[in-house]
Amino acid sequence: MQAFNFEGQGFEYFKIWIVNILLTIVTIGLYYPWAKVRTNRYFYANSMLENKNFEYHATGKQLFIGYLIAMVLLIAYTLLSEFFPLVGLALILVLFAALPWIIWRSLKFNMRVTSFSNVHFAFDGKLGGAYFVYLILPILVFLSIYALPIAAAVIVPMFSESGSGMGVIGGVLVFALVTGSIVLAFYMFGFLKKKTNEYFINGTRYGQGQFSAKLAVGPFVIISLKAVGLFLLMMIAYVVVIALLSFGSGLSSELLGAASNLENPEAISALFANKMVLVMIILLYLGFILVGVAAFAYSTARQRAYIYDNTKLDNKIDFASTLGAGRLMRIMVSNLLLIIITLGLATPWVKVRIARLYIENTQVDTSIGFDEYLTQRQQEQSSLGEQIGDAFDVDVGIGI
Amino acid sequence: MIAGEWYDNGSAAAQEAALQTNPDSSYILQISGQQARSGNISDLQVSERLGNVPRKLTFEDGSVFSTRENDAIDELFKSHNKTSSFVHALESKVRFALLALLVTVAVVFAFFKWGLPAASHGIANALPQKTNQIIGANSLKFLDEFFFKESKIAVELQREIKEHFIKNVRPLEKDQTIKFTLHFRDWSTEEGQGIANALALPSGDIIVTDEFIRLSKNQNEIDSVLLHEMGHITNRHSLKLLVQSSIVTIVILMTVGDVSAVADLGVGLGSLLITTSYLREFESEADQYAFDHMLHANMDPIAFASIMDRLSSNQLSGENKPDNESEYKESKDTPTILDYLASHPRTIDRIEQAKRYSECFKQGLRVCEAK
Repeated sequence: MQAFNFEGQGFEYFKIWIVNILLTIVTIGLYYPWAKVRTNRYFYANSMLENKNFEYHATGKQLFIGYLIAMVLLIAYTLLSEFFPLVGLALILVLFAALPWIIWRSLKFNMRVTSFSNVHFAFDGKLGGAYFVYLILPILVFLSIYALPIAAAVIVPMFSESGSGMGVIGGVLVFALVTGSIVLAFYMFGFLKKKTNEYFINGTRYGQGQFSAKLAVGPFVIISLKAVGLFLLMMIAYVVVIALLSFGSGLSSELLGAASNLENPEAISALFANKMVLVMIILLYLGFILVGVAAFAYSTARQRAYIYDNTKLDNKIDFASTLGAGRLMRIMVSNLLLIIITLGLATPWVKVRIARLYIENTQVDTSIGFDEYLTQRQQEQSSLGEQIGDAFDVDVGIGI
Repeated sequence: MIAGEWYDNGSAAAQEAALQTNPDSSYILQISGQQARSGNISDLQVSERLGNVPRKLTFEDGSVFSTRENDAIDELFKSHNKTSSFVHALESKVRFALLALLVTVAVVFAFFKWGLPAASHGIANALPQKTNQIIGANSLKFLDEFFFKESKIAVELQREIKEHFIKNVRPLEKDQTIKFTLHFRDWSTEEGQGIANALALPSGDIIVTDEFIRLSKNQNEIDSVLLHEMGHITNRHSLKLLVQSSIVTIVILMTVGDVSAVADLGVGLGSLLITTSYLREFESEADQYAFDHMLHANMDPIAFASIMDRLSSNQLSGENKPDNESEYKESKDTPTILDYLASHPRTIDRIEQAKRYSECFKQGLRVCEAK
């Protein structure tokens, strides 16, 4: 196994980034597609495997039409939803229905303009599959998450109307319902993850080579269960620590005193004048962010490792992810702090750090090598419709 | 000699290669295990320079020579004008980057500080009065459906206040195109506690709640609040806010559309701070309108101070408490961090301003210098 290395540097990218922003401002946004091309070229070309690099071949001109259409839609949507909320809602529904098509065209476009070691990628997944994983499945997952409240709203009134209270049967029914709907929601989520990743990976080609992924629902369910469990445990532990701290500092008696005296404006103002209360609120808030980031980092790292372990190119070239949850969490938290402290100026360093983390934790079995791979002739864009969809350029997928 | 790798058209297999050029613009490419290639430099396609990423030269047959010797390639193609080096020239000089940074920060600051308020002011004032009717058309119906109940104020009192409003308050606004209409509604919390408030809709509808009428002690207090609401309507604050939030949404989506999720928090907080700071300006502007028109109509602006004071203690305690001004003032004297997030200016400041205008009134002035 051989790891990629990333050669981009924060300051070098900072200069590209700030010039991009300047030119975009000066041209009232028209430069944006060219800025995007330079950004993508920089990150792709600095991703190296054994001295061979990725390349991004799209041109600003190719992205421009789609960018204009997206801008017009965005402005239309913003104005419509402010002045005529119902029309805005209708537009969102139309966009929602078109989203899988847009994603599908973008996947095709983005793969076609990406190469590694002079060989282009391609995406030949079907449009129907895109509608299944990007529209139908998300709706089903949404429904499964809300199945419990909906069912409860139907069943609870049935018992209260009969006047006999909940009773044993009602209790058992509610318990079964709660358990069932939680299991269903987790299962559906895992199923969505499996299907989305399989659609993306199995539709991707490298030259004549075919990527393939054989994924199961189980591992995704276990990872998300663990992430949620981790989140709840850390949350409880954190709240306990904060509670102990406030007991220790004598703050709790003050808080309780104020709580029993909510009618009294002076007590409330006095409470807020106390600096400790503000510190506690900020601590709580920061703690929730940390816990959230930790759970996110855990599930991201574990899912990535599972997906890469089960992905092959032409059934012979293996992949692996060495991305650790702790490492990811540290980078995410320090990035967040960097962004806040520098009011966003650290964005280029942040992007380079996160790209390096992901790319250098990607491994490929290079014992066979890629010398046999050849770019396949791809269908050229023929109609305006294709061009529009192509250049919508929505970023999806799991990335390298 | 420029060292690099050569790839056949569309092939992933790399061969070591070296490019040699002559003063007459011809080149020879030595490829290991292959026949050497030669031709004229002007027939080669060269990729634009970007940082220090490997450079690609594409030959006529689609094969590619890749090299990391960026400076040598720049030197070689300088006289052939094959690369547009303008953007790279900007990117490669630290002083240009710093200049770009300065310009960017200045433009962004100026945009939010002056450009956005000026633009929304211009757009909101340029739109026909009908726009206000459109955005306000269903608001009252919506509020009636979900928040308000029928007023329990005695019909005679309602009529009295309305007639006074039509005869004495409404004419204070010279712009006759706005149709100000007064409505009475009951607005209560779920516990049945009345909410004291007055609202202005862009269509010119002004709604006062029963609890507000109950709290007010004289006609001047009611009039001062009605004038404040008329100030919101005349200055088209709803429309300005709509235009502003539209622009902010578009600008933020355009500029940070591709920033990773970690920055979202900062963006959200930023736009919240921007919007609430505009809201505070609107409240001050409406206050100003009320004070100016009260001075003009020979009303003492102190009425606004007393009704504001009573409203705020009513909001804090949930019931009408006797005035306790000195203590309340003390506890709110130092601005807290929460003030930066408030949608309204601090009540204490608004009351101060009303008192300042009241001083002017007592001196018989018709115009007053605001702080």
